[in-house]
Amino acid sequence: MSHDVRKWLVRVVVVGYLGALVGLPVGFLFDKALASGLHAFWLEVTKPDALAALRLSAEVAVVAVPVNTVVGIAAAVLLARRKFFGSRALTTLFDVPVAVSPIIIGVALVLAYSRIGWFGAWLTTHGVKILFSPVGIAMATMAVSLPYVLRSVLPVLEEVGRDQEQAARTLGAGGLRIFFQVTLPAIRWGVLYGVTLTIARTLGEFGAVLIVSGNISGRTQTLPIYIFDSWDQNYDFLGAFAGALVLATISIVALVILSTLRSRERKLHVDLA
Amino acid sequence: MGTRVSEDAAPTEAPPADSRWRRPPSRLYSRAGFAGGATFVAGYLSLIVLIPIAALVAHGFSLGVQTGGWGAAFWHWHVHADFRSFWTMITRPAAVSAIRLSLWLSLSVAAINAVMGVAIAWVLVRDRFRAKWAIEALIDLPFALPTIVVGVVLLSLYGMASPVGINLFETWMGLMVALLFVTLPFSVRAVQPVLASLDGEAEAAAKSLGAGGVRTFVSVVLPSLWPAMLGGFGLAFARAVGEFGSISLIAGGVGRTTTASSYIFNLTQGFLWGDAAAVSTALLVLSLAVLVSSNVLARRVARRLAP
Amino acid sequence: MSISLSHLTKRYGSNVVVDDVSVEIPEGSLTAVLGPSGSGKSTLLKLISGLETLDQGRVVIEGDDVTNVDPRHRDIGFCFQHYAPFRHMTVSRNIAFGLRVRKQPRDVIAAKVAELLALVKLENKANAYPAQLSGGERQRMALARALAIEPRVLLLDEPFGALDALVRTELRQWVKELHQQIKVTTVLVTHDQGEAMEVADQLLIMHQGRIEQDGHPTDIYERPATEFVQGFLGPTTIFKGSAVRPHALELEGPGAGAIEGAVTSIVELGFEVQVTVLLSDGSMPWVQLSRNEYAALGVGVGSRISIRERD
Repeated sequence: MSHDVRKWLVRVVVVGYLGALVGLPVGFLFDKALASGLHAFWLEVTKPDALAALRLSAEVAVVAVPVNTVVGIAAAVLLARRKFFGSRALTTLFDVPVAVSPIIIGVALVLAYSRIGWFGAWLTTHGVKILFSPVGIAMATMAVSLPYVLRSVLPVLEEVGRDQEQAARTLGAGGLRIFFQVTLPAIRWGVLYGVTLTIARTLGEFGAVLIVSGNISGRTQTLPIYIFDSWDQNYDFLGAFAGALVLATISIVALVILSTLRSRERKLHVDLA
Repeated sequence: MGTRVSEDAAPTEAPPADSRWRRPPSRLYSRAGFAGGATFVAGYLSLIVLIPIAALVAHGFSLGVQTGGWGAAFWHWHVHADFRSFWTMITRPAAVSAIRLSLWLSLSVAAINAVMGVAIAWVLVRDRFRAKWAIEALIDLPFALPTIVVGVVLLSLYGMASPVGINLFETWMGLMVALLFVTLPFSVRAVQPVLASLDGEAEAAAKSLGAGGVRTFVSVVLPSLWPAMLGGFGLAFARAVGEFGSISLIAGGVGRTTTASSYIFNLTQGFLWGDAAAVSTALLVLSLAVLVSSNVLARRVARRLAP
Repeated sequence: MSISLSHLTKRYGSNVVVDDVSVEIPEGSLTAVLGPSGSGKSTLLKLISGLETLDQGRVVIEGDDVTNVDPRHRDIGFCFQHYAPFRHMTVSRNIAFGLRVRKQPRDVIAAKVAELLALVKLENKANAYPAQLSGGERQRMALARALAIEPRVLLLDEPFGALDALVRTELRQWVKELHQQIKVTTVLVTHDQGEAMEVADQLLIMHQGRIEQDGHPTDIYERPATEFVQGFLGPTTIFKGSAVRPHALELEGPGAGAIEGAVTSIVELGFEVQVTVLLSDGSMPWVQLSRNEYAALGVGVGSRISIRERD
């Protein structure tokens, strides 16, 4: 077999594999969702249940993303600027929620905080309801999107080094000023990258949320669960396609943002795994 | 304002000592700040990760922890692990078949991925053609797409109403396609940088010694890719074993396509939390073990290959 | 004395990096701390600035004990080896940083920044970002930023280390002139003895965390206190059992009444010529000659020759 034939063979196999596995199905989603026209798509997206799901997803993101961003940056600063006992354990702990099944995370949260869980009795007597409520959904979402900011910021922070911070210090700046005027601007692309990853994961989370949400339509349905329910329970395929198209569009936008940021900052290569 | 730059400034004029705060030198982020930050991060981690995982494992082993509130939980707990019930719960026929399905599916998916990963990475690094950007874009898509969207996407093309006449609904093939989809980038992204860093000198040397293209690839290129392939294999396996969203639709509701995570989900729908905890614990241990061992193995291979 | 250090000690674990250093640095001097890498010279600078905490000792700046003062309140200007520019700020904003921290009025800051930009000849780069500057320009910006707060002392960590040879020589001269102009007590750290000799009016030789010798560069060069200092400041060769500078030896024709030997090798390095001689006691000192001296001597490998110390 000549060199050229081999090259073409590899090329065709790779293109064919990727096309059949990813390209065609995703392209077909757009076709299906928009088959009856943009107006029909719009009607699907603005159905009360769909709107409620969209709103809940957005609300959860509004809580989960800032919290995880603050925690991620704090942890990154701790890890990059101090050597301390247990730093390795800390990084590992951050990774656990995405290393194991989201179903496991959901079950674990239920067994800790629901009525049947460790703190169930205490939480019930104090009127805090976590299972079947937006609070539980937010917790599950925060868990599965935990490490992205840390993973994105840490390498950038290490690359930047502490010289600029020390320089600011000799010039008289205090800790807060150093953080907000020197450190944060220096890692801004890393933070933005991590936030984009976190948003993408937050809006898309399904398994963990499904376990803790109780799947009450119109009340505890996030967008992914609405899609699942439309397809699996209500056979509302058009609704499912429309919802899936919304989420797919968001993730494609996220991908474009990520690749733009990667070309700006060479230390960014974290994947949304 | 008197400056050292201008000639008339008094160069020795020091600011009065009391104009500066007298504070002992500290590191950049002070001890208090560090302690505060560490407590905050540790507290959040405990709330979101540590306590739930501990609760899961405790329930899995039916640990006898009283939950009558804070006081009771901390003063009257009698630890009593029930390994026999744990074993019973994870060896129920349905559990065993679900775990077995997850295991062999994940192993094959990770293996196919490793091979295809090298091929795709090869095309990305070594080949030049116009549509390459499209491949680059397609690689990242599976990570970004929410898993439930992956399920919808695959069923729209390979479901009951398949326009291409391929119906993978409720088949293990369907599960495999979904798992291949979501794990696609692991191997490619692990192998790609390593392949790009090979400068081609060793390959040129092999060719100059008379080795053909295939032989050069197998005996020179492939060995340097092993650690990356192993790493990608481990990640893909761990992801496939735990995957739920993308296969939840395509699996339907039949026993022969119930994977471990679907099985756990079904248990929770029947409020069998004890069983769910036990199987989750088993799955948790399995994924972490695979991740750790593939990391260790990859590092060991990498060390052996280091020049 | 502008800076007075007593018994400074810094350990990393069991490794003593700065070992009981006591030294006085005169007001308005330009002092070079010279030593091989790992001698503790950079750490010494960080101890003076407070960026590293010390294990023992006292730091007094202009009579003011700053041992327990945070670096942000020490009024020192510190220039980092790689300049540590704030990359997201323009040159002007970089220079203004310390003044803004000190809550100076806006017009005062503007005037001061303009003055400093002129001083470091970066007027036309005021709105450029550090990434758009050359290495030398970044270095000058870092100097201006440090000078903006009117520091009591200026500390420069390997200020020319990251520059290429041509810019380095230019900048050395410039720093020397700048120092003569503004007369702020300056301590710079370097591993390059040529650089130290050229720029500094005071020299501190450091070795293994200790000060080997301090004083005027010429004094130290001519009267090294230890073998290490002698070896570090320039080439040495062994003559009559002791180390001497190769240019302190001279060669003459045979029979001139000095020790005799035979030429074993000649290395011509442009203006300088190095001649190695094998003596009867088996030692092989080498002698540094100028091209003219060498030509006048008229020797080749194998020639008999006599060698002695210059008067």
